[in-house]
Amino acid sequence: MKLLDRLPRADQFRSPVHTPGVSARIGMWLGIAFGLCFATGLLSHGIQHGPDWFTWPSRPISLYRITQGVHVISGVAAIPLLLAKLWSVYPKLFERPAVRSIPHALERGSILVLIGGAFFELVTGLFNVAQNYPWRFYFPAAHYAVAWITAGSLLLHIAVKLPIIREALGEKAPSDSGRSALGRRHFLLGTGIAVGAAVLATAGSTVPWLRRVSVLSWRSAGPALPVNRTAKAAAIEVPAGWQLTVRGRDRTVRLSLAQLAALPQTTAELPIACVEGWSQSATWTGVQIRQLISLVGASDTASVRIESLEKSGLYRASVLPAEHVGDPLTLLALRLDGEPLSPDHGYPCRIIAPSRPGVLQTKWVSTVEVRG
Amino acid sequence: MRLLIGLIGLAAAGWGGALLLDFLQGAPPDDRINLGAWLIGGPVLHDAVIAPVVGVAGLVASRLLPRSWRTPVVIGVIVTAVLGMVALPLLWRFNPSPNPGLHDRDYPLGLAVAVSAVWLIVLVSGLVRQGIADRWVARWRSARRRSRSA
Repeated sequence: MKLLDRLPRADQFRSPVHTPGVSARIGMWLGIAFGLCFATGLLSHGIQHGPDWFTWPSRPISLYRITQGVHVISGVAAIPLLLAKLWSVYPKLFERPAVRSIPHALERGSILVLIGGAFFELVTGLFNVAQNYPWRFYFPAAHYAVAWITAGSLLLHIAVKLPIIREALGEKAPSDSGRSALGRRHFLLGTGIAVGAAVLATAGSTVPWLRRVSVLSWRSAGPALPVNRTAKAAAIEVPAGWQLTVRGRDRTVRLSLAQLAALPQTTAELPIACVEGWSQSATWTGVQIRQLISLVGASDTASVRIESLEKSGLYRASVLPAEHVGDPLTLLALRLDGEPLSPDHGYPCRIIAPSRPGVLQTKWVSTVEVRG
Repeated sequence: MRLLIGLIGLAAAGWGGALLLDFLQGAPPDDRINLGAWLIGGPVLHDAVIAPVVGVAGLVASRLLPRSWRTPVVIGVIVTAVLGMVALPLLWRFNPSPNPGLHDRDYPLGLAVAVSAVWLIVLVSGLVRQGIADRWVARWRSARRRSRSA
């Protein structure tokens, strides 16, 4: 009881930032950031684990680069927005009585779920792009499930608060007065500046002209193409006399690297766009996948399964949907920027397709198999 | 309209809950506890640590800082704290990344440069605001002197 008495009371927070006008404005921006983050996250999930009805276009070539860039940048922008929003409504934590009725208890409970989910998504996302994993669970599955919980409880929160939001956004701002650290306008301004600073410090991971500005970006400042999994980490040993296996429905062809290089080559500038939000364009040269499978009599309306020399690992195989197989820029690349692939970039050959997550651009390819 | 939004929200949250339960059932007990701690950790850490620190810092700022310096300094502190949070996973690593071209910048230096730039802007805007304030005070005094002598 004594401890409860020592807690501050809601009416002791007298700063003008603890008003519905400020909460609603920051809430609106936070809602937009979360909405963008959720929508682009769903797309990325759909491309990797989507149901059969989900299709993703191969053009424009930078589509995935853009959607995943938006995912990560809107997540970064949401960090200061979430903190500002919570500071604005913090006095509500000390309202007495703590529970007025059963609906009130349910509402407070749903807000706890919303805040817990919001912090979980932003913090785990931020650590994950840094490839820093201070937890025990499998990140993609947990991040995906909690995304639904957070988005759902956010919608519920908006539905509950809609009359207050409408009123708060409609009314004119009262003039700032009194001795608070920041007035209402300056609090909104400061939040905006913090959002700008956080975005500027990180967006160079995927926006080329910000690369030197973004001192907290997850990738090098230099022009070299980053490597997300080295040949050593994947325990790759290319056997002497390596041959690519191209398996059709009723025919199989084996090709040496020299034979692959003797096929017509296509050169294209395509980005690698990682789920972790960094991206980088490079010039790739190789054989069109649709041409490769024509060698075993398959048409480009089939999907194709790609297997790597990698023996284990979550991403040792990928499936190119027909949409990408038919694209003349979907390549089995042999060269990067004019040079033969280095082991870390997938020697002897790798997949590079437009508008796909980097983890599906399978390296160290051993088998190309035509599916239904 | 409200009802519709609320129902969609409930359905989405329920779907997420089902996904999470499904995920937890396949996970070892230690991982479940770990995930639970991560879920509740944000609100607890915020309500018990972050928000009180913000409140005390705001109180101190409103008592100690002169009016023309208050806004730039407080916004400077906010931006510094946010940059620090964004830098945290890069500075405090649990398992170093072995991947060439990723996470290999000099992050302490980068953070120092960014924070220095922020405080340079704070200094300039504080001086400008103080200059403007001083000019107003001077103008007010000279106006009062003139009205007295008239």
